[in-house]
Amino acid sequence: MSKFFSFLGKIYRYLWLTITSPIWLPFWCIGWVSDKIGLSNWIADATMGSGAYLIYKNLTRKPLRLFLTVFATFIAFLIYGTITAFQVALDSGVELSADDRLVTVNKINFTQPLPISYVNKVKAVEGVSGVVHMNWFGGYYQDPRQQVLTFAVDQEAMLDVYNEIIVTDEEAANWKKNRQGIIVGKSIADTHGWKVGDRIPLSSNIFSQSDGNSTWEFDVEAVYTGADAQTDTNGVYIHYKYFNETQSFGGDYIGWMGVRTADASLNEQVIKAIDNMFVNSPFETETVPEKAFNKAFIEQIGDIGLILGSVVAAAFFIILVIVGNSMVLSVRERTGEIGVMKTLGFKSMRIFRMVLGESLLVALIGGGLGILASYGVTGMINSVPNPLPTLVLNSDVITTAFTYVAVLGLTTGIIPAISALRLNIITALSRT
Amino acid sequence: MTGIFSQIWAVIIMNIRSLPRRLWMSLAAIFAISVVVAVLLSFLSMVKGFQQTLEGTGSEDVAIVTRSGSRSELNSSMSRDTVNIITTAPGIAKNADGTPIYSAELYVIVDGIKRSSQTEANLPMRGISLDGFALRDQVSIVEGRVFVPGTNEIIVGAGVLREFEGFELGKQIKFGKTSWTVVGVFSTGGSAFESELWADARTIQSQFQRGSSFQTVRIRLSETGNVDGMLKMVEDDPRLILDVETEAGFFAEQGEALNTIITFGWIISIVMSLGALAGALNTMYTSVSSRAAEIATLRAIGFSNISAFFGTLAESIVLSLLGGVLGALVSYSFMDGLSASTMGSNFTQVVFTFELSPELFQNGIMLALLIGVIGGFFPAWRAARLPVAIAFQRGN
Repeated sequence: MSKFFSFLGKIYRYLWLTITSPIWLPFWCIGWVSDKIGLSNWIADATMGSGAYLIYKNLTRKPLRLFLTVFATFIAFLIYGTITAFQVALDSGVELSADDRLVTVNKINFTQPLPISYVNKVKAVEGVSGVVHMNWFGGYYQDPRQQVLTFAVDQEAMLDVYNEIIVTDEEAANWKKNRQGIIVGKSIADTHGWKVGDRIPLSSNIFSQSDGNSTWEFDVEAVYTGADAQTDTNGVYIHYKYFNETQSFGGDYIGWMGVRTADASLNEQVIKAIDNMFVNSPFETETVPEKAFNKAFIEQIGDIGLILGSVVAAAFFIILVIVGNSMVLSVRERTGEIGVMKTLGFKSMRIFRMVLGESLLVALIGGGLGILASYGVTGMINSVPNPLPTLVLNSDVITTAFTYVAVLGLTTGIIPAISALRLNIITALSRT
Repeated sequence: MTGIFSQIWAVIIMNIRSLPRRLWMSLAAIFAISVVVAVLLSFLSMVKGFQQTLEGTGSEDVAIVTRSGSRSELNSSMSRDTVNIITTAPGIAKNADGTPIYSAELYVIVDGIKRSSQTEANLPMRGISLDGFALRDQVSIVEGRVFVPGTNEIIVGAGVLREFEGFELGKQIKFGKTSWTVVGVFSTGGSAFESELWADARTIQSQFQRGSSFQTVRIRLSETGNVDGMLKMVEDDPRLILDVETEAGFFAEQGEALNTIITFGWIISIVMSLGALAGALNTMYTSVSSRAAEIATLRAIGFSNISAFFGTLAESIVLSLLGGVLGALVSYSFMDGLSASTMGSNFTQVVFTFELSPELFQNGIMLALLIGVIGGFFPAWRAARLPVAIAFQRGN
């Protein structure tokens, strides 16, 4: 029986070691190499005077416990980095929206149409520098489940109003010339393997041609990139004229208008002018800054920010409890030792700094590795085709992450550090 | 063998009764596990509630006809003629006077102000005839009365009233130029129809410039779940470019949209469990080293190492179960019955309530147990192999 257990245990242990090898192997290698070339001794000599050596020795006294606390911190910051990258990506639609751009929609709801005659009227409003009208095409590629964000637009005005769409001048000219031409975002082009010069079929789940066919053929004239790394490049833009003349529903209706103002300070005035113009008509309008429109659109899905924020908070809470507890424990175990150190003449403040340094170091190692790993995870997510905007860990996220590292290190160390500071030599030595 | 079992039992009881001595470490493990379980159950109960709402919406006795490929009521459209043809298909239930039982409906989107975020969100407004009421189970007017056909009167679903502002009985609502009066509140027993505004179909046709067109037809089936008669007709008649499906199948498909959230919830919870596992291992290793003398004593008086193994494992499992139950209770008290709304596949808001069902509860407990077993195994292993002599030295 016990032989069987020992066999089972061996299998279990080696399996576990193999699975977790990506985590411990780098450390082991670093340790082995630095032992061989004498780096360890050199570090010991160099740090002996400053007290860092004591921190190092205390930390590595129980390697297993160190590993577990560092690992827990690692997980917390891995979750933090990855989820925040998601959140930043989701918010980027709001963050990147232009301040000098407005959206004019039907007042009932943005899915209700507007007459195309409105476009010229809005163009004439003082302070408006460009107007582009758009229709939702309800596009999909091959399978209705493969949705493609397809918009039928005025090709002449599109690239001026939405100048974050980057194509070469030649490509832009080709697109404007070709009735069946489309420009596609890099992200969606990569997903389906589309290239300039391809002829691709796009179907609509709303519209159909007069012969009942709901699939249109288009020529890819350009693959656009975004002005910013986080600009969404999942869109496809087709000519409104081509769309409107071939679809069978009839009616010269547009979905909504993107309006660029000469300056953001004119927004208020332009909004009033546009909406007042159409008041009491069968199609009243509602004009809002693009930022507000995008924000409301995302909030339709729900309070994603709250959900993701709670997940991160929960992860940090777990780690705080685990790491804090093991710090308290490891200092309590050393009560006698601290008593001896104080007897030898170590200043209380120095012991206080030593304990705090230990917890900060644990947070720094675990947190640093976790952030590094979240780089890897977001890179991996970006490298496979997906409908998400590009995940970017920007400097704001990293700065906040290291602030949290410091906060975590301080909160987990402060209680044991204070109790070590206050520790009375007599009680410390008598407790052993 | 009975000796072994009574030994194991004795050690288990002893370990559990000594838990208060290791109070803080034990609490840390319990807390960590409970948070993991609470996070998992929150995600699962959200999706469960959403899917429950959609599943409860569709009936097997009703067929829904949409334009081919549209996949949602919003994108569909069909002429009066199409409606007249398809309702002559075989397999449709008839009234006493021999006319088919069906409801041709419109589905338009209007703005409503969401209470939680104070932002505009898409609300579905359904144009329906009084016949349409008969095609939905459990429709009841809970306040006021039904709209009078031909007038600008609407009735609002109980879910809309709960999550959106300005739809109280008697209120005037403006959609563009036209003004509507709320004359009633209806309930459909928690289904997705409760997230809708209902008004007379012909009034909506004229107020929203829809001519005589409709978007969907709901048809009462003479035989539950059997739409073959209509499918055959669509196949044979080139004028009919339509999809026919039972209403239950139609809505179940829409609920699948949230399956990615389940995956996300599981991934997050499993990654978090690794953190909690580190905590559990820490706790149990500490427990073993603090009980070293005790274990050695037991070994010295003849207890087997197997009893030390199972004693430690049981301690870990007890802690993880406590954590699991605590996490489940926390998420039950906060999440179960929580009302929320999100964008459904019709591009409109669906109001639903979180639902923490017993099987989800089981999922949470299983995850906690898994953490407990893995987190207890290695420390238990160490406990079983603790050399008696060395343990005594360390204890002194």
